[in-house]
Amino acid sequence: MGIWNKSLLAASFVAMMCGSALAQDKPFEGVQLKMLGIGDTSVTRLAKITSEFEEQTGAKVQIDMLPYPGLIDKIIIEASSDNPTYQLLWVDSPWVGMLGEAGALQDLTDYAKRDAAEIGLDDIIPVQLQENSWQGALLAFPASGMIWHVNYRQDLFDNADEKAAFKAKYSYDLAPPSTWQQFHDIAEFFTRKKGDKLAGKVLEQDFYGNAESYSRVQGAITHDYFPIMRGFGGDYWDPATGLCAMTGEPHVKAAEFMKSLVPFNPPDYLGLMWDIQSGYMERGETALSGYWSVRTVRLTNPEEAKLPSLGKAGFSGGPTVDGKPQPTYTGALSFAINAKVSDQEKEAAWAFIKWGTSEKIMRRLADEGWGISQFRKSILSDPALQEKYPYYKVLLDTQANARRRIFHPFYADVEENFGVELSKYMAGETATAQEALNNACTAVNSRLSMFPVEQRLRWINDAPVTVLQK
Amino acid sequence: MASVSLTNVVKAFGAFKVVHGVDLDITDGEFVVLLGPSGCGKTTTLRMVAGLEDVSGGEICIAGEVINDRPPKDRKIAMVFQNYALYPHMTVRQNMEFALKPQKLSKAEVDAKIAGVAGMLGLDALLQRKPAQLSGGQRQRVAMARAMVRTPEVFLFDEPLSNLDAKLRTQVRMEIAKLHKQLGTTVIYVTHDQVEAMTLADKIVIMKDGYIEQIGSPEEVFAHPKNLFVATFIGSPSMNLFRMTVERGDKGPVLSSAAFTIAAPVDKSGKLTPGQAVTLGIRPSDVRLARAGEPGAIEARVEVVEYLGVEALVDLRVGTQEFIAQIPAGERPAPDETVKVVFNQAGLHLFDSESGQAL
Amino acid sequence: MGYVNRRNRTIAGVFLLPTVAVLFLTTIYPMLYALYLSFRNYDLAKPFIPRIFVGLANFQEVLTSGPFMHSMWITFKLMAVTLTFQFVIGVGLALLVTQRLPGMAAIRTLLLIPMMISPVIVGLVWLFIYFPELGYLNYFIGLIGINPIPWITSTQWALTAIAIADIWQWTPFVMMGTAAALQSLSPEPYEAALIDGNSRIDVFLYVTLPQLKPVLISLLFLRAIDAFKIYDIIFVLTKGGPGDATETIALYIYRQSFTFWRMGVGAAASFVSLIIISVLITLFFKSMQKSAVAR
Repeated sequence: MGIWNKSLLAASFVAMMCGSALAQDKPFEGVQLKMLGIGDTSVTRLAKITSEFEEQTGAKVQIDMLPYPGLIDKIIIEASSDNPTYQLLWVDSPWVGMLGEAGALQDLTDYAKRDAAEIGLDDIIPVQLQENSWQGALLAFPASGMIWHVNYRQDLFDNADEKAAFKAKYSYDLAPPSTWQQFHDIAEFFTRKKGDKLAGKVLEQDFYGNAESYSRVQGAITHDYFPIMRGFGGDYWDPATGLCAMTGEPHVKAAEFMKSLVPFNPPDYLGLMWDIQSGYMERGETALSGYWSVRTVRLTNPEEAKLPSLGKAGFSGGPTVDGKPQPTYTGALSFAINAKVSDQEKEAAWAFIKWGTSEKIMRRLADEGWGISQFRKSILSDPALQEKYPYYKVLLDTQANARRRIFHPFYADVEENFGVELSKYMAGETATAQEALNNACTAVNSRLSMFPVEQRLRWINDAPVTVLQK
Repeated sequence: MASVSLTNVVKAFGAFKVVHGVDLDITDGEFVVLLGPSGCGKTTTLRMVAGLEDVSGGEICIAGEVINDRPPKDRKIAMVFQNYALYPHMTVRQNMEFALKPQKLSKAEVDAKIAGVAGMLGLDALLQRKPAQLSGGQRQRVAMARAMVRTPEVFLFDEPLSNLDAKLRTQVRMEIAKLHKQLGTTVIYVTHDQVEAMTLADKIVIMKDGYIEQIGSPEEVFAHPKNLFVATFIGSPSMNLFRMTVERGDKGPVLSSAAFTIAAPVDKSGKLTPGQAVTLGIRPSDVRLARAGEPGAIEARVEVVEYLGVEALVDLRVGTQEFIAQIPAGERPAPDETVKVVFNQAGLHLFDSESGQAL
Repeated sequence: MGYVNRRNRTIAGVFLLPTVAVLFLTTIYPMLYALYLSFRNYDLAKPFIPRIFVGLANFQEVLTSGPFMHSMWITFKLMAVTLTFQFVIGVGLALLVTQRLPGMAAIRTLLLIPMMISPVIVGLVWLFIYFPELGYLNYFIGLIGINPIPWITSTQWALTAIAIADIWQWTPFVMMGTAAALQSLSPEPYEAALIDGNSRIDVFLYVTLPQLKPVLISLLFLRAIDAFKIYDIIFVLTKGGPGDATETIALYIYRQSFTFWRMGVGAAASFVSLIIISVLITLFFKSMQKSAVAR
């Protein structure tokens, strides 16, 4: 309750500053907040209960939910408009540099510092705050924290027949993959045709060893390729020039690895993107699928996925070449405030962010089973919740040794060029991975090279987020 | 060349009959004109002969064979349409070639046929033109050429002259007559124009409302109309009609009306009974000015005089009865004058007012 | 006389004013602005990049760009296929629905429905049909023992799948235009051909088709412009993918303008395609005039 009183106090203080006499117990009476958001777990859960926020603060909240492809386009257009429609913007962390360099997002550092205790700043995994920063400024607040990890069919991995067959074929024990070779073996092993047996049962339809995103739409393939590339030891930029460096050995190997998985993927692999890819896992039609943890929670909810009814999901961190962990990429799905709105609207929007990302709400969502990918240590480390959501432990552990995902102002160019070029390579239109990566990097660098090297280096420099500096 | 015969031919659209049992015999080489006002069934009858309309009842024979169910192409006919029905994007030559295509003739045969017909119709210079580059009369000739080139046994003409101006019409009409004389092919010709019918036909078939009113040579239908319809339809200006009552006179029956009384024609007097309502018909050309003191003259007032050069049409009035006299232009009276006229005895036609049939 | 003329002209001007104003606001001004953009380095998402005049650099980039040429090739390939099928099937259907047979009026109305649906909805409908796992098409071909085909997710099939959807949507347009033209044709030449005994094929080739030619050219012209701009169906079904297998001009322009936010390059690409389509229009008009003179 203490948190709530404080929040009300802060809010009424602001309201008084704005000269509103009415705002005694409902500090934002009459304020209308609109959010340009996504129709996925980080928003849909909250959208159902915004009326509670309205009751508490008086501010009306309307959330427009759009699909991920095209959402950034609308946000850019909104950001370039002088008359903003949306006070709140949903932000995928790779966009932070793009929107930050354009001055589209309100710096939240002072708000977060002011309300540090209320929001439990120390409770948030530090890299999640870093993930939302640009040049040290906190531009968005995490509403969902992510890592790229492996989902697998725990029930099949536990099946004695399958274990024995695997051991016989590959001479080692069937277990969650820690190397890419193991990942490949498992995908190959579980690829079965209709009529074959899986865990003793005759299959009524094909079963796929693996499901990854290969679609070019909104660069979907890059959202799997980049974490895999990281697992091979690669990274985005050349630290000396600030140019695209994704043409090296780890990058090529990662692309070739993804292509080697194609035979184990569904026939429509070139159309696979987030929801379609995770759909195969959720329906229990694939043995293994690595993706961002935003939708992982669905694998534990029988109302959202078939898998909990017909088997069991297992979770592990992303593999590496030699099995020794590489710092994995993190991601954040966050809420930000449009820089162009009035101070009162900013305060109201901040109040909404605080409410919507609070431990109380997060815990409640987790308790109700409609959780999201969490970003608070207190929740991820809660033994009861870890029991309920086994992937919480994976989330918590991997983020201890994690690296920030791409945040460059030219992210759109990277996503689109790599999306198209990698997709063409996977489809066989481009002969080699090297050629595809060269094409993509050349396209990106053709735009970057016209800027001075100092500017390019600044763009790839991940300055520590100031909100965490005491 | 062939004879054509229609036996009790009926055309009905559902319950609606448009041709009611037509009987017609056309001998080989005859030029028959189907004449009647629009909607009389003449075109429908022609189209049944052509095979463009199904026959609902009865039989149509060409050259003695029943052709009711034969497709048009197997009827040995050719047709000339009101709108010529030329293929607009083809030259005159191509139009004819296309008509010959189904006959699968050699190139030489086709060329010979086209040259022959083109020569006959004076189209030699126009063979490379398209229909849009031709005058109405030329198009009409092309339409005929296209029909002729196939050397059919029966020609069907559907109001072929109605899209031409009056002068051309006369000219083409004469050409058609000449061609018929030359070729001797059986012709069935549909028109609503009695002049065409009178000038072209060996035999006129006058139709009304799907019935044949009279069949006969031009002279017959003009001089001896079988009924009031034929009487008024044939001849221009049309026959004057007077509603009369038969009365007993001193020298046999007389015809009487409020306006005048005249003696009944002698040859008809046997068929008349006193009190009978009859219609007296007299063509304007059978009305003439009375000589001085001529008996039986009728006094009439001149309403309008139409001067036509050789002749004049004089609108006359007796009481409430109006009628027309066609007289030599030199004798024409002035309007508002009162004149005396007499009717040529030979030109008197009598019809039963009730049935409309000639007496 | 001069006074009256001048006065008439003034009145005409007053009546034209609203049209001119609307035209200016909706067409001319945006076009001029696009022309202005095409000579600039204008990145909507990156206001920190100076929006300077760059001469013909954008045009040079477009004209030397592999992806632009690729999208041009895809556009014309798609156009050739869709127009061919739309006209063959459309004219065929037109011949069918203009027959005086019972129920034809109803069939004709039903056949027009695809044309009346918004292309985005058409895209969504076909998305359900093509959907790899749950799609109707794969379900039905599965019933006759054919393995599922990744219609919109394989480079071999995607363009075909889009062509099918586009043909489905726009064949009725060709049918409607052709049927209207057929019904306005005078029946007499057909009766003449019937009496002369010309075969149906001959009648179609030598009587019907030549008479339809002006209408078909107009329809082709309208369809070609539309096909050149094809966007909605592709956007819904494949977004230009897989790879760049279905990336047409419109998608290329969209991508430059709204993915890379390079409004200048997008505008330059638009003008290049405008010029191409204008050349097409001119050629079409020329051939139309020629056929009109020939009549």
